[in-house]
Amino acid sequence: MSENDLITDAIRGFLRRHHKSEDIDLDTQLFAEGIGLDSLQTAELSVTLEDELGRDPFSEGLLPQSVGEIVDFYRK
Amino acid sequence: MYELLRRTADRDASATAVLRGSSRATFGTLLESSRRIAAELTRRDIRRFCIVEPDPVAVIPLLAAASLTGIETCVYPPTATPDAVRDMLDRFDHSLIVTSRDDLSHLCDTVTAAELQEKPYESIDDSLPAARPHLVLTTGTTGAPRAARHDWWSLVRAIDLPTMRSGAGQRWLLAYGMNQFGGLQILLHVVNVAATLVATEEFTPKSGLAAMRDHGVTHASATPTYWRFVLAELAADGRNAPDLRQITLGGEATSEQLLAALERAFAGARITQIYGANEFGKNRSVRDTSTGLPLTTLTEDDDIQLKVEDGELWVKSAYAMRGYYGEEPLDPDEWRRTGDLVEVVGDRVFFRGRTSDVINVGGVKVHPLPVEDRITVVPGVQMARVYGRPNALTGAIVAVEVVAEPGHDAETIDAAIRAACADLPPASRPRSIRFVDQIVTTDNKITRRAGSDRSEEDS
Repeated sequence: MSENDLITDAIRGFLRRHHKSEDIDLDTQLFAEGIGLDSLQTAELSVTLEDELGRDPFSEGLLPQSVGEIVDFYRK
Repeated sequence: MYELLRRTADRDASATAVLRGSSRATFGTLLESSRRIAAELTRRDIRRFCIVEPDPVAVIPLLAAASLTGIETCVYPPTATPDAVRDMLDRFDHSLIVTSRDDLSHLCDTVTAAELQEKPYESIDDSLPAARPHLVLTTGTTGAPRAARHDWWSLVRAIDLPTMRSGAGQRWLLAYGMNQFGGLQILLHVVNVAATLVATEEFTPKSGLAAMRDHGVTHASATPTYWRFVLAELAADGRNAPDLRQITLGGEATSEQLLAALERAFAGARITQIYGANEFGKNRSVRDTSTGLPLTTLTEDDDIQLKVEDGELWVKSAYAMRGYYGEEPLDPDEWRRTGDLVEVVGDRVFFRGRTSDVINVGGVKVHPLPVEDRITVVPGVQMARVYGRPNALTGAIVAVEVVAEPGHDAETIDAAIRAACADLPPASRPRSIRFVDQIVTTDNKITRRAGSDRSEEDS
């Protein structure tokens, strides 16, 4: 499984737990008209990524706006 | 302690005081040991010392000797690592350890309880000094342990001395460490009523359950966390529950679910909850098998008075500690915060957690206990611990560690937990659910302070 798959799998697992659509791609926006995460859901996504991948962009002071920006974080 | 031991030994020196494995000690031998130790401590001009010993046969005479001579003692956790002992030696200024361990001699002077009893004494002065200090360590669930300064006069007075009822035939399990206030209460009670103390090699629920069966334990007092583990061990071994007559819970808040489970498992036992703390020197008992305290507790005007202010329980106790070691003495007549958050509902005072356990989720204060009570009744959940997990976005989030019952699927339990908490305010809903093999405890109490997640515990 590629790293991209790991990242998107983690995000899809989070979406599934919140009964949100898992139909995402790199352009999918996290907030507002996209997935529409609120602050607590974003915090939960942060800990999900940390638990599954060891680190996450939010804990390092970043605020990715899309699935693609999350993937970019792990590429660096 | 000495006066209780002397009185009990004078009545029946051959009565069994302690059972530990295959060993047995009588009240008479403990009294003799305490007198030899007192004489030797005086000969060596020792004024204070700490004790690192798991065996009550060693600890009881040491405490009795100290209480006879006015020498200040402090019992450290018997399994503390050398580094932890070093830290306590520094904080509490101890330079002598009484211990049978051989890994502490590099820290300071050490001596064994056996060495202190080697020499006979010519005579012993049984009159008790005016000052008889004793330090009792706090558990340390909210930080490094502190040493509460007590005096044997008030510790003994707080035990039901005037009634002098007989405990003959009672076998009390020692489920607390003797460094804990709960453990000291058990020691004092057993000696006071001439019951028998059943001690284990380890202070674990598994060892406790084995001792209950092997030694016919009739009475047991432990934390709710300890009792949850005992129930889990019972479920795992499938054998009949020991025939207990008395179950006491104390040291942390309990739940209706746990009380019901204990009633089912130990059908013949009377169940008592005690509310108390090291700091206020005596416990208050509740025997009505509901959680919390009766509201009438707040209006009783006896040696221990309670009031609620800003959602926190305050106490004024005639048996309160003098203060913490190394800090300013406290006014004995002043009201003191307990650190326990409560809510009055109807005619009941319910505990909502400790002030230090409150989780600040983006400015919203969440009490972990009500969330935990929701989760522990979810099918498949054997035990759960709710705590604050630091988070860069909201400061903290509500996290839970879960021990799953065998044969239950984690994903199913996860979904059930989220469903069970779905109607809670958003800040209270668990955002991190981890499945673990065991819950981290300190002295058989669950640690919930913010930031006490496994990554910190493991480092």
